[in-house]
Amino acid sequence: MTGTVAAIGAGLVAIGAALGIGKLAAASVEGIARQPEAAAKIQGAMIITAALIEGVALFAAVVCLLEVLK
Amino acid sequence: MAAASTTAERTQAVKDYVFSHVSNSDHWALPFFDVHLPGWLTLHGLMLIVAALILIALFGLAFRRNDRVPRGLAGALEAIVKFVRDNISIANLGEEDGRRMAPLFCSLFFFVLTLNLMGIVPLFATATGNLGVTTALALVTLGVMIGGAIYKNGLIGFAKAFVPAGIPIPVLIILAPIEFMGMFIKTFALTIRLFANMLAGHIVIFVLLGLVVIFGGIALPSVVLAIGIDLLEVLIAPLQAYIFTLLSAMFIAQIHHPEH
Repeated sequence: MTGTVAAIGAGLVAIGAALGIGKLAAASVEGIARQPEAAAKIQGAMIITAALIEGVALFAAVVCLLEVLK
Repeated sequence: MAAASTTAERTQAVKDYVFSHVSNSDHWALPFFDVHLPGWLTLHGLMLIVAALILIALFGLAFRRNDRVPRGLAGALEAIVKFVRDNISIANLGEEDGRRMAPLFCSLFFFVLTLNLMGIVPLFATATGNLGVTTALALVTLGVMIGGAIYKNGLIGFAKAFVPAGIPIPVLIILAPIEFMGMFIKTFALTIRLFANMLAGHIVIFVLLGLVVIFGGIALPSVVLAIGIDLLEVLIAPLQAYIFTLLSAMFIAQIHHPEH
């Protein structure tokens, strides 16, 4: 049954990452809407932050994957 | 796979196929025959060599003529090189160091980009979906972080990067080791980010296609999803190359210019 537990883990990872990236996207879209001339800078910062959040999510995803492959 | 009959058996067959497809192997499966590679070379190693040859050929041919204004392919490549130099290297490391280290970041960017894109092209394998490859790439960054900082600031200056100014000594006893470990953790995160991104994308595509094998014709719409994910991969390939290079530049800048 390890596969099932790992799948739950992957789902939890998705919730966390979605929350993080969702908040990030909401804030940056709002920022761009308020100040369209700063769009390029906001986008750059957004991509970096998204990559950092995604990194944490992927750490967890790899752990789940290891559990499946065990 | 044809012999498998029950759902559980087919699931296992799909799982085996997916993981044998994304993992490193000693043979290169071409449409009609298997190329067995010699013992010193694995599939992903071969992909690294192919990527290097592609890049050498691309840049060698595009910049053969010494045009003052590059045309065609050379123009496109130059635009990317300039983007990496200005927006990644100089933006993070400053004018002087940025110019000096631009070749490193250009190499990293184009190499990772080529490997990522080769993963989408049929017949080729994704070398960046191999933990060994991404570790080696991140070790280059770590080497430049440590070696470059010692070369630039000296051993004492390098050590000062882990000791932020204006912090009381009791806090420093805890903080300095954390900062030191952080250097390795950042590199490790760099490794895992690229590896997991490339691996996960390819697994998702194959699992979506595998649903058809497992559940039969009723799962055919998942092919559309697989095409969607495949197109997403085309976007992710340059994005991950960009992020890998950008974070490398940021981490290197943090060690080289500690007070920033």
